[in-house]
Amino acid sequence: MKRWDDPAPDERVAGDRSWEVVREAYEERIRVPRKRDWRPVAIVAVAAVVVAAAVTPPGHAVLGSLRDAVRGERNASPALVSLPTPHSRLLVNSAAGTWVVQSDGSKRLLRGYHDASWSPHGIYVAAVRGHELRALEPNGAVHWSIGRRGTIRTPRWSFDGFRIAYFAGPTLRVVNGDGTQDRVLTRDVRPGVSAWQPASHALAYVNAGGNIVVRDADRPTHLAVIRTRLAPRQLQWTTNGRLLIAVGSHTIGIFAPRGPQLRRIDTGAATIAASSVSPDGKSVAFIEAGPDQSSLQITGTGAGPTREIFKGAGIFSNVVWSPDGRVLLLDWSSARQWLFIHSVPVKRIAAVSNIRANFGTEPSLVGWCCP
Amino acid sequence: MAGSRGDERAWIRGAQSGSVPDLEALFRHHWPRAYRAAYLVVHDSAAAEDIAQEAFLAAVRGLDRFDRRRPFGPWLHRIVVNRAIDWSRSRALRRELGDAWLGLVAAPASPESEHAQTLAAALAYLSPEHRAVIVMRHLLEYTPGEIAEALGLPRGTVNSRLRRGLDELAGLLEENLQ
Repeated sequence: MKRWDDPAPDERVAGDRSWEVVREAYEERIRVPRKRDWRPVAIVAVAAVVVAAAVTPPGHAVLGSLRDAVRGERNASPALVSLPTPHSRLLVNSAAGTWVVQSDGSKRLLRGYHDASWSPHGIYVAAVRGHELRALEPNGAVHWSIGRRGTIRTPRWSFDGFRIAYFAGPTLRVVNGDGTQDRVLTRDVRPGVSAWQPASHALAYVNAGGNIVVRDADRPTHLAVIRTRLAPRQLQWTTNGRLLIAVGSHTIGIFAPRGPQLRRIDTGAATIAASSVSPDGKSVAFIEAGPDQSSLQITGTGAGPTREIFKGAGIFSNVVWSPDGRVLLLDWSSARQWLFIHSVPVKRIAAVSNIRANFGTEPSLVGWCCP
Repeated sequence: MAGSRGDERAWIRGAQSGSVPDLEALFRHHWPRAYRAAYLVVHDSAAAEDIAQEAFLAAVRGLDRFDRRRPFGPWLHRIVVNRAIDWSRSRALRRELGDAWLGLVAAPASPESEHAQTLAAALAYLSPEHRAVIVMRHLLEYTPGEIAEALGLPRGTVNSRLRRGLDELAGLLEENLQ
């Protein structure tokens, strides 16, 4: 019966990987036997600081100037009554849950969900609720769910809809689009950043060393390891899959599918808050955040100058392209406005105010769907 | 002797009081058989890893309540084998429902292992229920009575599954397993 003692495939490496997970769970268990609620203390402390700032003359001046500076666009619509692109839909995450906004302005709250993203044709939404990843219809009907330990975040559908990549704790996992065959893809990963290459099951992510890895999710094959010092916080492919755009804090790197870097855009001291690749893959829109103002910039993925499209006081949080590539939607969070910026260069801006009143606290744009 | 019953009690006691080295000793001692048992039932290394890992995570969660006078292995193996059976059943069901269009993407077994070539390949022809009792009997070395208790089956069912499964396996493995 000697062969019962033979090791099974991957037994040792699987053991090493699993020990790390088990140790982490064990240390977590030791570290946090009980939780103390610090919220009342924090609220009192913050309130004290705000009151102190407001009642002193310098503090009063600062609060006043901020309020004046970040008032946003004038003549803004008080509510989102429609989207400028017919038959399209927006996905918005908020503290209360995920909102699905139809092109006629009607919207539905998927309460309790977060980290939502569209399936390729906007038929489904992948979203997180507690420790579960769920695939649901925009009307809230759940098709399947899968529970995992650790914080689940940033699910991403492959372009054919047959795979979803997501992070569970420190691991990058992949599950089939119908909820089957959930598996660990890698633990050598910086959680939070991944992007599927169109027309393939190649997934780009950032490994623990900060380099970009492109890997076939169906086979244990590294297609490329692209060495970079960008420390990417966002990865995107052009829709033809021929360029990979990596966005760091101060630099955008444009790479061939398996490297090398073809173009580099540096913003100097300004931080890149967000970026979005146009549907035709020819342009990248990105937000430069300075100390007291932000600007929306656009540049070509191949070559060409970088142009400033819009500038304003305070913080721009996110930018997304409309599915037809004719409109940029800018989240001007400190003005609590969304700006629909039609065509490039600027021809017309339609602003919607009261975003927080419309979507609750911490609204953030996720995606505008679908081609 | 490493891995004796006394060692195991000491590791559990240490782990219950917060010792990472003791927990690691317990993990390293039990991982190979837990993983191997899962693998021989599910025939998918990624799934086996998940199943064995989750069994250990369940152990960590229940560590404070664990009775040190009882052996750790049977408790762990019961979780592993039952989850492996559930996983195999659900996969078989999905195939019946017709997910062939998705393509099977389970991690392929490494070809270098003897398991992949002979024993596991032969076991793959059996049902998950037959695989489970054979693995528990011959890899994990439980008695039919212990298997019956772990899987919640009558002892006669365990015996008949063992007999039928081994007959079939013997034919497949020819001289190796008898």
